[in-house]
Amino acid sequence: MRPHAEVEEVWPRDGRIRLVGRIHGRAAESADGWRLLLVLRGTDRRLRYDARVKGDRFESELPIADLAGRDAGRDASDAAGVEEWDIHLTDGEAELRVGRQLDDIRGKKKIMVFPEQRTGGLSVRPYYTVKDNLSLECRLESRAEEAI
Amino acid sequence: MTARNQAPRHTAHEAPKRPKVRYLLLHAYGRGGTIRTVMNQANSLVRAGWDVELVSALRRREDVQFPLDPRVTVSTVVDLREGEYTPPSGVAGRWHDWRRGRLLEQPGKHIPTGEFGYRYFNRYVEEQLIAYLSTLRDGVLVTTRPALNFLAAQHATGGVVRVAQEHMNHGTHKRDVQQRIRETYPSFDAVAVLTERDRQEYEQLLPGTRVVRIPNAVHSLDQVSSDHHAKIAVAAGRLFPQKGFDMLIEAWAKLVETYPEWQLRIYGSGEKKAELRALIEEHHLYNHVFLMGHTDRLDDELAKASFYVLSSRFEGLPMVMIEAMSHALPVVSFDCPTGPSDVLTHGVDGLLVPPEDPDALAQSMGKLMADESLRSEMGVAAVLTAASYGPDAVHPRWEALFTELHEQRLGTAGAAKGQHV
Repeated sequence: MRPHAEVEEVWPRDGRIRLVGRIHGRAAESADGWRLLLVLRGTDRRLRYDARVKGDRFESELPIADLAGRDAGRDASDAAGVEEWDIHLTDGEAELRVGRQLDDIRGKKKIMVFPEQRTGGLSVRPYYTVKDNLSLECRLESRAEEAI
Repeated sequence: MTARNQAPRHTAHEAPKRPKVRYLLLHAYGRGGTIRTVMNQANSLVRAGWDVELVSALRRREDVQFPLDPRVTVSTVVDLREGEYTPPSGVAGRWHDWRRGRLLEQPGKHIPTGEFGYRYFNRYVEEQLIAYLSTLRDGVLVTTRPALNFLAAQHATGGVVRVAQEHMNHGTHKRDVQQRIRETYPSFDAVAVLTERDRQEYEQLLPGTRVVRIPNAVHSLDQVSSDHHAKIAVAAGRLFPQKGFDMLIEAWAKLVETYPEWQLRIYGSGEKKAELRALIEEHHLYNHVFLMGHTDRLDDELAKASFYVLSSRFEGLPMVMIEAMSHALPVVSFDCPTGPSDVLTHGVDGLLVPPEDPDALAQSMGKLMADESLRSEMGVAAVLTAASYGPDAVHPRWEALFTELHEQRLGTAGAAKGQHV
């Protein structure tokens, strides 16, 4: 299995999303310099946050308000008003995808489901992709309502 | 003595001809516990050389959902699959077609509204079932839920031996259903219930009617055992208020801080999924409690867990719990009517807690979470308990019952014709 950041807990609450897990398949030579890296799919837009690493354990969090921050970003959203951010952990060299690959549960997308939070006209929900990687789905609320 | 010898009994070299056994199910193509159990019975009977037919009152699916021996025949009374109905031609045909459509729209009049399956019994279904039941002349008919029992009691009167199965406990039935049970069940040759408590209740309710207790059997006892090491608890059932998963989630919320490494996996699908998901979110349990959906490999999933939880408000006899025990899983269960107290010995193969009490449920689950050796010890005892629910322990009792009732019928038929009994 390729090196990745195995997420164990995802906490979408109080306007933040906190992630806890373990680095898998790559020794964390130094605890310093680790960042959580969010990449807006289909763009080169990136957001970075400090990550605490101790041994192989990592922990990091982000305020969801950042995802609504730059209005320009909305140009990248698709017709349905949806933006998707893929989550990585990086030490500046390697970019490890954050996901949940090591347990026995298949089809996490429908089983490990997280609540959405709202901020500035945006609803944000962490979700597992079909490959069991962790991403964030941001939906413009007005359009989300239209979609219903 | 001479009279006895001349009776139409079977001598040693003349093996008794076994009666054909027909099971009437509401929907043989569904996924419920009753269907699964009846198929287990049917499989055992055909293997033992019996002629068995499953009759499905309705058919909405293409395929049977559980393993069924190909020697068991399956037939349908009313096929509701798309495109399976060809309207007849001609004037009379068009009239029949018009009438069918009208009757399909009309609510049933023979089934009390309190029967949980009431909505499936429109006038057309009733009429077709009555027509079918009145053709039966011989063999054994086993009906498997109150609505079907009521129809059989009144219309399967052409000579067939009749056995009513009750898969739910008596107290669960609505008043109008209980009333009809009292009125109609005395015409059965036997009423079969699942638990001791129910046997006593039905015996009181139906003086003079033969009431037998035969538990359902698990499909196999040859199961992979849990090693009691994984921090996984498992529950299974339709996502429906009866199963009490709402109380189970509340109980888990009380444990999550003390036992953050433990997961609860709830298998099953159903109409309460969104509400249960909302409850999980409200208690911030989305990292610990998972609605797993339906699985075709429940055996494998049970073997991965370390204990089983039953949080039901009521049951008949909870078979998945017994299946879990056959995987050496100890059980934490509400002492609900009926089943758990029939099966479990508190402190030996599981922990029985007061019904509908999430605090007590949490406390007992905590006890098992804290103690792997307790889980192993109780798990071994659970395997022994499950053994008395194996097909080899249970199914011969059906064979004996059917044989006996059949011979009785032959005997009384002989008597009616003036022959010796």
